[in-house]
Amino acid sequence: MSLELKRILYNISALADLGQEVTSKKNFNEKIRSVLYVIMGTFLAVKGAIFSYEKDKKEIVPIVMKGFDSAFPSRLTIDLAHIESMKKNEAYRLAEDGNPVASDLLLSQLSHAGVEIFVPLWTRDELIGALALSSKFTAEPYSTEDFELLKVIANQIAITLHNHTLFMDLSAQLEENQKLYQEMRLIYHDTIQAFAAAIDAKDVYTKNHSYRVAKYVVAIARELGWDESDIEGIYIAGLLHDVGKIILRDELLNKKSPLTKEEIMEIKRHPSLSYNIISKIKFPWKDVVTIVRHHHERPDGSGYPDALKGEELSDGAKILTLADAFDAMTTDRPYRSKLDLKSAIEELRNCLGTQFDPKIMGAFCRVLEKEIKGELPEPNILPHLDDNFDPSIITSLLEATIKELSV
Amino acid sequence: MVVSKSLEDVAVIYPQGYLNNLVGESLEKECNACIGKGIKKIVLDFSKTKFINSIGISILLSIIEKLKKHNGILCFTSLNKMHEEIFEMLGITKYALVFRNEDEALKHFRVAVKE
Ligand SMILES: [Fe+2]
Ligand SMILES: [Fe+2]
Repeated sequence: MSLELKRILYNISALADLGQEVTSKKNFNEKIRSVLYVIMGTFLAVKGAIFSYEKDKKEIVPIVMKGFDSAFPSRLTIDLAHIESMKKNEAYRLAEDGNPVASDLLLSQLSHAGVEIFVPLWTRDELIGALALSSKFTAEPYSTEDFELLKVIANQIAITLHNHTLFMDLSAQLEENQKLYQEMRLIYHDTIQAFAAAIDAKDVYTKNHSYRVAKYVVAIARELGWDESDIEGIYIAGLLHDVGKIILRDELLNKKSPLTKEEIMEIKRHPSLSYNIISKIKFPWKDVVTIVRHHHERPDGSGYPDALKGEELSDGAKILTLADAFDAMTTDRPYRSKLDLKSAIEELRNCLGTQFDPKIMGAFCRVLEKEIKGELPEPNILPHLDDNFDPSIITSLLEATIKELSV
Repeated sequence: MVVSKSLEDVAVIYPQGYLNNLVGESLEKECNACIGKGIKKIVLDFSKTKFINSIGISILLSIIEKLKKHNGILCFTSLNKMHEEIFEMLGITKYALVFRNEDEALKHFRVAVKE
């Protein structure tokens, strides 16, 4: 495994740690201290502090810090106009030239105390606090990826801090909490999309595979009448289903010649590897991990890793299996070129009952037909397919399949 | 839980189980106590450590920093493959001596002491 991938994995698990701490039932002080430790461990910072903003005094106050000496200021006055001119939840390197930093009293004070990275923490329009980190233990500079990750983390801490103030504030309203919950989900989406991009980048032949599969599973689940929260869950499962491939060697994934028995065994590990990685993350949606684990199972029991039979598999897993195979058929692979749409549908049909579930196939055909006929405002499948097919031939093939499945 | 023993000027500490919050903090306390007593050679033996997360890493960093300030030496022993890989990837192994087991670390210090 390359160093870069090891780092990605470490960062994923650090985010999982963060999620665990943020949602834990610890009291606030303990929680925020653990959060700071996670961040320092992630970026290898020797010193760190999280501040909360006191609106009436226009001051930030450290609520937890580690590594700084006793001379570290216990409260700092901020220049609100200046903070507002900085991007929300974005990390700034204080020592950098040409930064607005030098002119600001607060930031130069912090820089003096050993702070290298400063992140103003906001929830929507409200300044909530700040995060400060020293340089890295290894003296390496913070990388572009570090800055990206800091943004995601900053969003999470901002929400944690805000929830705390809400909790303190008796006028806290349910509606407000709901909004924050929505934001939290958006952050999850961003993070997960970033991981999915990392997976897809590794395998040149499956570029955007996870992204397309995620779109396809959403289309099928919606056709089956799933509710929005479950649809969101299966979307995430679609994005992450092959994350385990990150651990496999690049040569193996991109090999053109036929694979040896050992190599096939190796590749077949990826659903359980994906499962191991994402089972560390606490998702707000149910079933994500099991759907991912079972995306190469088959109704006839000949799939892997658990060789489950049709009735033991959830609809979610069956949807993902079909969407995954459909995308594999309609895109080029190292060992063969792609099938046209008609052949791909016929191939799915040939494998009904053994590899794919008839009920799921029915839903897939219905939604694809609707998309081709232009009946859906936001098609999820069609935009990703080659448009060199004859719509009337495909529609009649789909209609025949639907009819056959309904008897 | 953290178990430790001291042999002359060397302390051997065994972090147990999961090196996250609680264990991590008691480990740091234990190390600080050793340094306070003037023991500056610390061997961390990971044979009983199951799991180290980012919190554990941040705790190890502060121990290394503290020892650096006091001109001490930190050793890691009985690292399993997973821990060794993480430490190496993060560049932590550069700041500590790594031995296969506790005995080898102790042997190293005896030699160093005689010189
Ligand atoms: Fe897969
Ligand atoms: Fe896949």
